[in-house]
Amino acid sequence: MSFIDNIFSSLRPELSGDAENRERERSLDSAIRFPLLSLIKSSLVWLVIATIFGLIASIKLHSPGFFADRPILTYGKVEPLFWNSLVYGWLFNAGLACAVFLMTRLGGRPGAPTIFLTISIVLWNAGVMLGLIGIMAGEQLPYAWLEFPAFVGPVLFIAFVGIALSCLMIYHARAYRSSYASQWWVLAALFSFAWIYTASQVMVVRLPAQGAIQTLINSWYIENVFGLFLAPLAFATILYLIPKTLGSHVIGYKYSACAFWSWIFFASFSGVSDMSFGPIPVWVSSLGVVASFGLLLPTTTLSIQFLSSLFRKFSVIWSSATARFLFAGSVIFLILMYYKIFGSLRGSLATTQFSQFDSGVDLLALFGFAGMIFTGAIHFILPRLLNKKLPFTTIVDLQFWLQLLGVMLVSIGLISGGVLHGELINESTANSIAVVGALKSGFFMTTLGMFFFFLSSVCGVFTYLTILLSNRVEAERNTNLLHEAPELEYTAP
Amino acid sequence: MNRGPFIFLGVLIILVFSWTTVVFKPNQTVGKLVAILDDDQGGRLPRELQGAAQHGKEVYQELGCIACHTQQVRVAAGMDIERGWGSRQSVARDYIDQDRVLLGRKRLGPDLANVGERRPDAAWHLLHLYNPQINSQGSNMPAYSFLFETRKIVGRPSSRAMDLPEAFAPPEGFEILPTRKAESLAAYMLSLKVDYDLNEAPKSLETMADELAIALENAE
Repeated sequence: MSFIDNIFSSLRPELSGDAENRERERSLDSAIRFPLLSLIKSSLVWLVIATIFGLIASIKLHSPGFFADRPILTYGKVEPLFWNSLVYGWLFNAGLACAVFLMTRLGGRPGAPTIFLTISIVLWNAGVMLGLIGIMAGEQLPYAWLEFPAFVGPVLFIAFVGIALSCLMIYHARAYRSSYASQWWVLAALFSFAWIYTASQVMVVRLPAQGAIQTLINSWYIENVFGLFLAPLAFATILYLIPKTLGSHVIGYKYSACAFWSWIFFASFSGVSDMSFGPIPVWVSSLGVVASFGLLLPTTTLSIQFLSSLFRKFSVIWSSATARFLFAGSVIFLILMYYKIFGSLRGSLATTQFSQFDSGVDLLALFGFAGMIFTGAIHFILPRLLNKKLPFTTIVDLQFWLQLLGVMLVSIGLISGGVLHGELINESTANSIAVVGALKSGFFMTTLGMFFFFLSSVCGVFTYLTILLSNRVEAERNTNLLHEAPELEYTAP
Repeated sequence: MNRGPFIFLGVLIILVFSWTTVVFKPNQTVGKLVAILDDDQGGRLPRELQGAAQHGKEVYQELGCIACHTQQVRVAAGMDIERGWGSRQSVARDYIDQDRVLLGRKRLGPDLANVGERRPDAAWHLLHLYNPQINSQGSNMPAYSFLFETRKIVGRPSSRAMDLPEAFAPPEGFEILPTRKAESLAAYMLSLKVDYDLNEAPKSLETMADELAIALENAE
């Protein structure tokens, strides 16, 4: 296969391939069971920790006396503890679990050295824990999502490279030579994060660039963690799970390559728009605005793919928990991109800059989009990995509704509360205390939403523990009882 | 798209392009600025942090004050000037001494770029840190009472003891003293003021009026 062929096939993705018997999947799953379970386990533990920090932080905003006498839990520390445990603890573990699972299933041959992968995962989680302890001890750095003390950077980097290399080995050992869109997204996410993390660690943490440039790199990094790592992993998961749960092809699959390249291109520039009006050259933030509008193209393509596939088999959404999570995530993706794209305009930023709006959009992206998709995927992966049925489907339903309710409350509280906040701080001269008074109801709503998130994370842990500890029934012991859709990824639509 | 290296190469090219335009290029243009010596405005600009204020900056960073406070003034949008939070746009040169920059992304509290000018009294800041309700009733800023120590008065009360209002005073026979961290933080607050003009920054009205007057004089 030559380079030219590759370029052509990227324009018209190849779908030819072969469907094998089911036995293979069981052996695949058992080969990655241990590392995959560690990823899922750690993601759930971090989710509970993150939601507790989030709850404390949101309570502190309306009741500043809460835990005020504890230096390690002052608002300025709980806030970064929340975001970092959420992003590096929960979403990275959950997203990488999806990546490892997808790569193995789609590659059709176990290729990962289990021990190497497991050590990397342990190292990653140890790094995250060290970082959080560092923040509590007062070693935090003043950069959003990069608050971990400087010595944690190399630990996380090595651990990430270990996990990424394992995924590459799985990809390299694949039995099917043609590749599916999910694999591109996973590969892009792994390459991108290694690069943006190195760039920001070197230029912000190790050899800090001059003053204002650090903030610029920080904005670039934050947006790219979502746009080039979490979102691609979520897309990969959706593209894989749609055929599996609905039993039909992804509608408009042939536009995947277009969506892929345009998303990677525009997302990599879009983050800097929030530096508008700040002490950096104006053209940089204007470039960010243009790139954000470029995201309209892949957003439309991906949304059409996801939503029209899901709407065609709408009845499945009621019966399958995973499909329900996918549907909610896909709808939230559309709402999220509306806020991200139009929120990048200088006119919107004149109102929303420095307000709670940004946090609201970020939480919509993390809990609402990526979180929904990864949670749905974990409910798909667990039964297959353990060859048991989910023991309490009611709890899974409960988790779904709690999470959705939490997303709604938090995003109303922070996004519309953020617009109000922005109007007060940017378009009036109301004093800070009056502003805080006006935002009280939004703060309470956020606390309630965080409480729902906490409950939903407890449900997640409960599901995990019960499926792990339950005994296999007779039928589960000797058969492959989970009937799956055939391998639609490799057959022509 | 069946090969890893192809995707790797494509993504790498895009990322390098993005990094070059968004990070590298601005770093070349406004990332290599130097301080200015201007004797009319009192020497080196921007002003350097001295002693306790430098320690105070570390405390500010350690406690995560940046979660709610920015240190940047904008002119093109917002009401920063009308609020008295500053007199000119913050520019890149104002931050060249900060190896950990504290621009901030969120304003749950007021901007602090010029707080030293607005509140030039260290005692006010110490009271505010001890419990914001003392002089900012209704604020949702947490109390940093852990930066203060309560001590039994032995002999004469200390001259550094906090002068607290009735409702916040310690029990009889005790006094509250700021620790070194609290004092440094207050010193840092007082040091935060942008009281100089830079050529590239849109200037304050007074400076422009002065310059105009000088220009008119010269013309005559």
